[in-house]
Amino acid sequence: MIDCPQRQPTRDRNARHAGVLALVLLLLLLSGCATTPRLDSATRSAVAPHVLIDEVPFHGQRDYQCGPASLAMVLQHDGVATDVDALIPQVFTPGREGSVQPEMLATVRRQGRIPFVIEGRFETLLRELDAGHPVVVMQNLSLPAWPLWHYAVAIGYDLQEETMILHSGMEARRKESFKRFDATWARSDRWAFVALPPGELPTTIGTEAALQAIGDFEAVHGSQAALPAWEALAKRYPANATAHFGLGNARHAGGDLEGAIDAFTAAAAVDESHAPAWLNLGLALEAAGRREPALEALARAAALPGRWQSHSREALERFGE
Amino acid sequence: MMKKLYRYLSPLLILALMLGSLPVVAAPAPAGGMITTQEALAAERSQSDRERIHAVLARDDVRDQLVAQGVDPAEVEARVAALSDAEAAQMAERLDQMPAGASVVGALFAVFVILLVTDILGLTNVYPFTR
Repeated sequence: MIDCPQRQPTRDRNARHAGVLALVLLLLLLSGCATTPRLDSATRSAVAPHVLIDEVPFHGQRDYQCGPASLAMVLQHDGVATDVDALIPQVFTPGREGSVQPEMLATVRRQGRIPFVIEGRFETLLRELDAGHPVVVMQNLSLPAWPLWHYAVAIGYDLQEETMILHSGMEARRKESFKRFDATWARSDRWAFVALPPGELPTTIGTEAALQAIGDFEAVHGSQAALPAWEALAKRYPANATAHFGLGNARHAGGDLEGAIDAFTAAAAVDESHAPAWLNLGLALEAAGRREPALEALARAAALPGRWQSHSREALERFGE
Repeated sequence: MMKKLYRYLSPLLILALMLGSLPVVAAPAPAGGMITTQEALAAERSQSDRERIHAVLARDDVRDQLVAQGVDPAEVEARVAALSDAEAAQMAERLDQMPAGASVVGALFAVFVILLVTDILGLTNVYPFTR
């Protein structure tokens, strides 16, 4: 549950009083020392030393609504015509005074963008920012025992200064030290996502996470809307049979029979034991009037043991007559 | 009185919804038809039919919970529809376990002091004046 903290930009430097030193020691023992996240030299050289995605609009949160505010920022940056007021009824849950993670993702989906949950590592976050993708992050600004959940939008960083730059709460372009940011981010298990239009993929996304994200988007918006995403995924991961398979189905749904046959052929070529690919290839070939290769593909599907075997045999029998 | 009525009504409603949605989910893909990407993905994750039935029930559960949490009933349907199966299951399970309330932080003086110290140490970020 996310209760976005209310913050007034107060600055009171007298807050450090010495009487708490004993507690400091105790807490150090209790919680261990938070350290600045170490970046390996490969990451340091792979990303720009300073990144600021300047064109991300800022919306200050009202009440406890950092969820809708964060979504409005990334969605508008993506070119979606929406605003905080339109998003509040879609994602905010009044009884909990906050927005939950699944609904953050669902709302992105509703707005026609694909939410990709990225791998929870500091390097991953930097690489996405370097690629120009603002990242919605979830933080627990307090300790696990008294959580203060918060969403913010990471829009940049500075390796030299070791600071993250975030649109957060009431503050645009807030600078947070890597150390403090990572300590608060780690308490959400480093949960973060980017929202992208179908056809664009996060730089760091793995096949499984991408398949999941695109598959979920397709389940809501249909194959036609997801087609560019499948095209992009099959291009990025040509060795993944399921990506080609998804592309084949999306093309088929759009009436592109020859394109679907190509994609199913690619899926079956990559993974010869992919029964659904053989089956759908056979059916597509059949629909295209190519009987011989169709029967061949269906026979391959029917020969593979597993969940789809009986299904494939039925299809083979029906067309084989 | 109404509460009592609801108590008897809700199990009946749940049962009705269950029976209503079972055949849809449990139905196998049409014989000889194409396998959808979602079916193939579910099979790859070795998701059983049982789990998929569970996902449908989870959506009904989330629907009820959102209404109870003060979400505009006119919005609930669209919100639930945009969830993936996994997300719906997660919400059905966890929504009521989640602590509500921002007022927890700072309610106790001891907590205030501890968080002040952790803020100064750079472990937390509760009070802006410590930065």
